Amino acid sequence: MSLDFSPGRALAIARKEIRHILRDPFTLTLALGLPLVLVVFFGFAIDFDVRGITLVIHDSDKSRISRQFAEIFASSGYFLAVEPAPGSGVLRELDTARASGVLLIKPDFARRLIGGRTAQTQFVLDGADNTRASAILGYLPGILRAARHRLTQDGPAERITLSTRFLYNHELNTRWFVIPGLAVIVMGLLAIMLTALTVAREWENGSMELLLSTPVRPWEIILGKLAPYLILGLIGAVFIYLTARLGFGVPFRGSHLLYFLLCLLFLTASLAQGLLISVATRQQQLAMQLSIITGLLPSLLLSGFVFPIESMPVFFQYFTSILSQKWFMMISRGVFLQGSGALDLARPILGLSVIAGVLLTVAAKRFKKDLEP
Amino acid sequence: MALLGIEARGLRKRLGPNQALAGASLDFSAGLLHGIIGPDGAGKTTLLRTLVGLLRSDQGEVIYTQEGRPADFAAVRPFLAYMPQQQSLYPDLSVAEHMDFFRDLYRLPAAVYRSRAEELLRITRLEKFRDRRAGELSGGMYKKLGLICALLQSPAAVLLDEPTNGVDPISRREFWELLYRLADQKILVIIATAYMDEAERCARVHLLDSGKVLASGEPRAVLRDAKVSSFEEIFLNRSDRKEIRPTDTGGTSNTAAAGVPHA
Repeated sequence: MSLDFSPGRALAIARKEIRHILRDPFTLTLALGLPLVLVVFFGFAIDFDVRGITLVIHDSDKSRISRQFAEIFASSGYFLAVEPAPGSGVLRELDTARASGVLLIKPDFARRLIGGRTAQTQFVLDGADNTRASAILGYLPGILRAARHRLTQDGPAERITLSTRFLYNHELNTRWFVIPGLAVIVMGLLAIMLTALTVAREWENGSMELLLSTPVRPWEIILGKLAPYLILGLIGAVFIYLTARLGFGVPFRGSHLLYFLLCLLFLTASLAQGLLISVATRQQQLAMQLSIITGLLPSLLLSGFVFPIESMPVFFQYFTSILSQKWFMMISRGVFLQGSGALDLARPILGLSVIAGVLLTVAAKRFKKDLEP
Repeated sequence: MALLGIEARGLRKRLGPNQALAGASLDFSAGLLHGIIGPDGAGKTTLLRTLVGLLRSDQGEVIYTQEGRPADFAAVRPFLAYMPQQQSLYPDLSVAEHMDFFRDLYRLPAAVYRSRAEELLRITRLEKFRDRRAGELSGGMYKKLGLICALLQSPAAVLLDEPTNGVDPISRREFWELLYRLADQKILVIIATAYMDEAERCARVHLLDSGKVLASGEPRAVLRDAKVSSFEEIFLNRSDRKEIRPTDTGGTSNTAAAGVPHA
């Protein structure tokens, strides 16, 4: 940092910036309205639960037991039984996408079961959509357990049961998983967009020339512009938190103090990213485009919001570490659902701190102190 | 603050395709009101920006003196005030808010600021407009506010880039009264203008065209030496010559010819 850093001058910049914010309805609406709208909108829209899977049942046995078995599948709530197409081949339903799965019950199903032998059924899945396929696979053991229980009431099998319990999100409610992640995306994008315009605007309206002729230093401008938007971003974060808790009933198991402190850290990193864009482009329009591209795409696709980072190629597992959203995604989900403490989150906190520090330093270093083209 | 003088020696500066300064040497002696006179595109803005350190010259040097002794730019910089040509105030901030902002940037003590602010508001007659936003000020008032912001820090030198451009004649006269007050306080004033009639108001004039200094000195001496009766003639004669030999200076002749306004 410059030796002649003056907190007073940074404060002057901050005070001026607050006046700009309060008089600009666009910024205020963006900061306070956008998070609410986006979280509510996408919170409802994004749902990883797979429901209403169409299923065709080919019952070649046509016994009481096989009908009962088919009934268990149909009434499980996961499947939507559809009639087999008349006269078609067994798997034609899959080819024509009439169904996502086909259950084949062999002719000797009831006989083998009554005889104490293993009755076999076959389940054929449409693997083209592997999100649905893996969801269906996840449902199967539960249904089979229920079937075994109902069909072989006296058998020893019922005593050997496998029970699976999901920690943190017992019902595997995707909304609980989505909303804390969505909070990260929305807060990050918002913060980047808020500061992306600030320095570019001063270049475009000519005030930078006057500013540069005063004793003000780059670090003072950078920090002075950061502070007001940090407060604004935090208010946005509170709005998002309230929407998640009250609107979607997402549980919060961690420390509120820790969560909002780390929100500040994440906001700092994102605001610094916006400032860097603004300092580098010096044009409002270009800055806005860059902030949307860099703030939205990587954070949606590479932050672990949708696609787990552990299943990415090794290169990307490391590459994603430069994204502040990846680290805050861990923090947000951890604090919300797992009640993680600061020690559990040491790595993401460190990652986020490094990113914030680097971005701020680069922004201050790239800050032009003259009018050279 | 000690008397401040600025001397430019052989400044050359290329900006994109244009040779904005082509070996300009000027002596801005301390305590006087200097006018840099020249048409649009003559290099006035580039020269001023170089003098206040916003641009670096490709060749040549700028020498600052305090009480006649050479001084570092870093040492004199806090005492240089600059008022850019383009609009550079914040349209959504009021007169008083601008003054508060610059008070904080210059870290002025409260007592100094209070008396200085009152004085500046009084002499610029902006007292009644404290709460008016810069975006709603008239052209003349806007320029005066820019001057107030520049003068708050009690500078030793004030550099103004076309401060009277687009200002009505009465406001222009008022503005010049302000500049005379500064010169009376032995503050070095350097004003760039395209208005030729303003040249005669300066203690020293420096005629600039195509990045070169055509003449420097007291206004009347400059006219006498050029054997003309007005500064327009000097530039008109020059652009006439250019039209005869258009290849001589490339694309600058059209801006030079168009830049002889009559206020």
